[in-house]
Amino acid sequence: MERKLRGRGMAASWYGIARTATIDRAGAWAELDDGGTAKIVTGVTEIGEGILTLLAQVAADELGIKPSEVTIGDNDTARSPEAAHAGATRQTYMIGNSVHLAAREAKKHLFEQLADHWGVEIDSLQSFDGEVWSNDSNLRITMEEAVVICKARGVVPVGSASFTAHGTGLDPVDGSGSPWQTYVFGTQVAEVEVDTYTGEVQVLGIWAVHDVGRAINPRGVEGQIEGGVVQGLGQALMEDYQTVNGHTSTHGFAKYILPTSLDIPQINCTLVEDHDPLSPLGAKGIGEPALVPTAPAIMNAIYDAIGVRMKSLPATPEKILEALNKKTHGREHYVSAAREQRAQAHRG
Amino acid sequence: MPKLKIDLEVNNRKISKETDAHKRLLDFLRDDLNLTGTKEGCGAGECGTCSVFVDGKLVKSCLMPVAKASGAKIETIEGLADPGSLTPMQKAFHKTGASQCGYCIPGMVMAATSALRENPKADIEEIKERLGGNICRCTGYTKIFEAVELAKAVIAGDMPEEALNEEEVGKSYIGHNVRRLDAPSKVSGRLRYAADMKMHDMLQMQVLRSPHPHAKIVSIDTSEAEAMDGVVCVITSDDVPEQTDGFGVFVHDQPIMARGKVRHVGEAVAAVAAEDLVIARKALSKIKVVYEELPGVYDPEDAMKKGAAVVHDYAPDNIVKHIPVRKGDVDTGFANADLILEDEFSTQQVEHAYLEPEAGIAYVDADDVVVVISPSQNITHHRHMLSHILGLPINKVRFIMSPVGGGFGGKEDMIYQGMLAVVAMKTHRPVQLNFTREESIIASAKRHPSRTHYKMGLKWNGEITAIQFSMISDGGAYGMSSEGVMRKAAILSCGPYEVHNLSVDTTAVYTNNTPSGAFRTFGGMQAQFATESMMDMAAEALGMDPFEIRRINMMKIGSKTHTQHKLTAASLDRCLDAAETESRWEKGTPNVRGDKRSDLGGDDTRAPCTLGARFTNGKNTNEERVA
Amino acid sequence: MLTCDTYHLPTTLRSALELWSKAPEGSRLVSGATDILPWAREGRAGDVHIPSFVDVTRVAEFEGHSVAHGRIRLGANVVYQDFLTDGVLKHLLPCMPYCAIWFADDQIREQATLAGNLANASPVADGTPAVAALNGVVELARLENGEIKTRNFTVSDFILGPGRTVLQSGEIISSVSLDALAGYGGSFQKVGQRRSLVISIACCAALVKADSTGRVFDDVRLALGGVGPRPIRLNAVESRLRGEKISRRTINSAAQLAADEVASRSRQEYRRSVVIGFVKAGIEEALENQSDVDVKFEELENA
Repeated sequence: MERKLRGRGMAASWYGIARTATIDRAGAWAELDDGGTAKIVTGVTEIGEGILTLLAQVAADELGIKPSEVTIGDNDTARSPEAAHAGATRQTYMIGNSVHLAAREAKKHLFEQLADHWGVEIDSLQSFDGEVWSNDSNLRITMEEAVVICKARGVVPVGSASFTAHGTGLDPVDGSGSPWQTYVFGTQVAEVEVDTYTGEVQVLGIWAVHDVGRAINPRGVEGQIEGGVVQGLGQALMEDYQTVNGHTSTHGFAKYILPTSLDIPQINCTLVEDHDPLSPLGAKGIGEPALVPTAPAIMNAIYDAIGVRMKSLPATPEKILEALNKKTHGREHYVSAAREQRAQAHRG
Repeated sequence: MPKLKIDLEVNNRKISKETDAHKRLLDFLRDDLNLTGTKEGCGAGECGTCSVFVDGKLVKSCLMPVAKASGAKIETIEGLADPGSLTPMQKAFHKTGASQCGYCIPGMVMAATSALRENPKADIEEIKERLGGNICRCTGYTKIFEAVELAKAVIAGDMPEEALNEEEVGKSYIGHNVRRLDAPSKVSGRLRYAADMKMHDMLQMQVLRSPHPHAKIVSIDTSEAEAMDGVVCVITSDDVPEQTDGFGVFVHDQPIMARGKVRHVGEAVAAVAAEDLVIARKALSKIKVVYEELPGVYDPEDAMKKGAAVVHDYAPDNIVKHIPVRKGDVDTGFANADLILEDEFSTQQVEHAYLEPEAGIAYVDADDVVVVISPSQNITHHRHMLSHILGLPINKVRFIMSPVGGGFGGKEDMIYQGMLAVVAMKTHRPVQLNFTREESIIASAKRHPSRTHYKMGLKWNGEITAIQFSMISDGGAYGMSSEGVMRKAAILSCGPYEVHNLSVDTTAVYTNNTPSGAFRTFGGMQAQFATESMMDMAAEALGMDPFEIRRINMMKIGSKTHTQHKLTAASLDRCLDAAETESRWEKGTPNVRGDKRSDLGGDDTRAPCTLGARFTNGKNTNEERVA
Repeated sequence: MLTCDTYHLPTTLRSALELWSKAPEGSRLVSGATDILPWAREGRAGDVHIPSFVDVTRVAEFEGHSVAHGRIRLGANVVYQDFLTDGVLKHLLPCMPYCAIWFADDQIREQATLAGNLANASPVADGTPAVAALNGVVELARLENGEIKTRNFTVSDFILGPGRTVLQSGEIISSVSLDALAGYGGSFQKVGQRRSLVISIACCAALVKADSTGRVFDDVRLALGGVGPRPIRLNAVESRLRGEKISRRTINSAAQLAADEVASRSRQEYRRSVVIGFVKAGIEEALENQSDVDVKFEELENA
């Protein structure tokens, strides 16, 4: 046997967006502010996934200003409306959409004043990147100027919104129900190299394809996929929180092994955009879906390389070498059983 | 406390100070000089968040007793650039999206800076090696590498400085790679997380945790601890109203501090608030707890047996939650199958390992509002629960979210904010609790482990006729998110395939192990690990390509999910097609083709890492290995 | 958590020895100090109070290295990073760069000394097998009636068991001397669950010298770590190979011999399995890394 053997495997996946088997909700406030800037206040929980930036883009896009001109308020139960938690891959969907709707309302109030001030139809007004204009005329000003006009007329352009996702509970007997109004799908392919001397596995490449509905910030989506893949790799190959009779032996990071920069594959991301028809933005989510297919893709790749089916995670070097050393004809079992059944069927 | 005098230079500023003899350089920088950009992710030299330059060499400051740095020139993240500026490396991190939660980022920027100082021409393999001492849990490192290579090119003059600027927008900001708003504060180390915050007159809290997995608390004597100089108060469950005590995500089965008995090693039993950390820790050893050990259950299958020790009185069978899903008739489905596969799969308990250990501050403001600042993933729910537990009107409890240094579901449980609030109310002084890494690991929830029994029936043409899926999960000592995890696992269990006959059961069980709770995918990956393994095994048995068997069974518009929800949208076909194309997948049945396939070793893979890039001149290329 | 009362940074060997011999019970001698803080934490030693630290990293006599009579003497303050950056060390100690690059990470290598690593005597230390393969000798200094005296031990004799060495109270490692093996090829094999910050389960240091024709083993040094409390020099394997023609067959049978030796010392199946591969790979990679000679395998020659 060669020392290093390579193989490939794939896995498909699916996931649901926002809270499960219940109605989900999020609220937001928006204000077009002096200088053509904006304030967005919502219970957003930035945990590193990039939601703050995404909300700034959503607000900026709807209001017609730059993301850098959007200030997002702190998440504080005494200062911001409820947008519930960071989890369930819900923030882009729930908060993104509620911010979009709140911004739309704020803009509407501004446009009402401006339309009247200019004597044009409100539908003729557009804004982008800090400028406001009317399609019916040559009128074009900065958002800063538009806000001055609006406020001079006694109106502060504020808006608010609540976005709802309709999930239903599950039947207690057969589990039937509609737990989410939106689903996402994904597929990952893994290429690995197995060191048959030591049982060590290196993942050399991952191709990750995920439906995100609409990529508001493509680089941000990739970052989530890359992070999810590496967490999946960690669980697949090295991480193991162990306890014996309730006492842990993995107290710290010396024993609880996490992937380092030297362990990660080249990660090739492809984003599929199957717009969600039930929400204004059409975006879905990526945080959790990114990590679902990684471990099975890697295990399937290991099988392709060395013919050993790892059914217990993590697939540590020790477990792999042990399985390799006592490789039975396990896989033959299915193949020959299948052949035998097929033969019988043909005879019968 | 014993003191020592230290003279050194930090960020070009001469420092001459007296400090505690036991401090590490890390503590001196953070506490004495208020340079909180350097972080304590683990305190044991394993994560790199504490990296600083000492006399030009990058070291881990959590491993350096402060006296060792005497006379040295220290450079921290704050010293890399002038106030208000960013170095090309920091700008590159901003440009490529290399910072997510940001907690590892100051250390990572330091490691990247060091890499290019040591070798401005370092290739990607050497760059990866030089970053090998820094862990990132959020980004998967990819955009960090991109940042270092971009910075390298700009510094060398191979790319213009403009390459670090933001991209020009096209017609819309939707779909545009807007740089992260929070990146500048993170790459410069200026963003303050909860452990970096200081309030005037603030106390330090430490928590006494159970050494036993299951034991009655016979008595707790806090008198000696309370009598210590510098100890301001000691709290136990006596300080929390008994009738309302109890928090959790689905079931409120967890007390703020252990009440009557402890259910897992690491459970909070008492807490001390003192003038400084050392006194608080010393006081812990003075609290006398008398335990009566109880038989415990450590395996979910044992816990479900008759006569097993009961973890929570309300659940005498130790079941946290069982979720059933049924569709069609599995018996008929299996009877109609040409091929039946049956197997078992297991996954382990997994630690979130966010680089920021839990931390928080609580105080009571002038309007008698109890304020809790913490990196909580659900401040709405936490406020609701805490106000109920403490018997306060909801608007007299305020939760402020501090910047979160990684969550992944591990910061959804209110495992310490209650203690902070109680001390704040008792003392009317601000109080801070910073978890050690070990404390975080032992006290916070883990990803549910799983044991799945899987039976799948298929026709020769690859169509699945029936699936029987049964998963048991160790929920540990408290409910946390177990119910939701079982529900999601059950709903997603049989994968993105239209299966007409299925029987799915997921069960979470109480044990005296570290609790399992919310963690990215909430049961979805455990279930689909089993499904996707079975699908490949079926593909092999049927002589089919793995993409092919999935296409045959995939959900489409109009398909009914396992919970009989009719889909109005489905995109698996597009995902499969794209994955096959992008990966240049060579079709074939998965019968151990590794040595025969021709789609390996492409430009879109990396070379295997054999270490030694900085002295082997890239000997180990992809081409050589595949040949 | 670690607390202490005093921290000393002596600048001469004499003052270090004086401080150390007078240090109160429970005090610690440290150089890099990279092991002590991780040790004083929950799950390991817990809260620890050390009355006094004697830190020898400023001791002038411990700096640098010197070469004489085919041996190189490393001062006790040589850090692991030096094996990657110091041209003299890279040239004379061909297996050390490969050993060092597997050791922790850059930051820790800047502080962690070889001497400190040896003093810890961990069965899974990476430095000990490499030092054993280089015929390492540890020099211990002490004060006797006001005079500085030394005694020397081979690394195998220096280590008594896991975490135990011959160091007496008042003694400090002053240097480590190794064979200067310019012209040899070196390698280091280590198995771990990832590629950085790895605590190895087993490791193997190898040094080889092919003769000027590239066909014969002039010298072979092999040492294993992680299999038992002390590093194991594979003396029987080395003797078998010295003077032999370089061939895959010879290397394979040598690897088998090594595995048999290990089997008698360790019940761990995994270590045994791994050793065969390591010895093979160790020798082959070391041959590749011998830069001044074109190695010619017998099989390829006869083909």
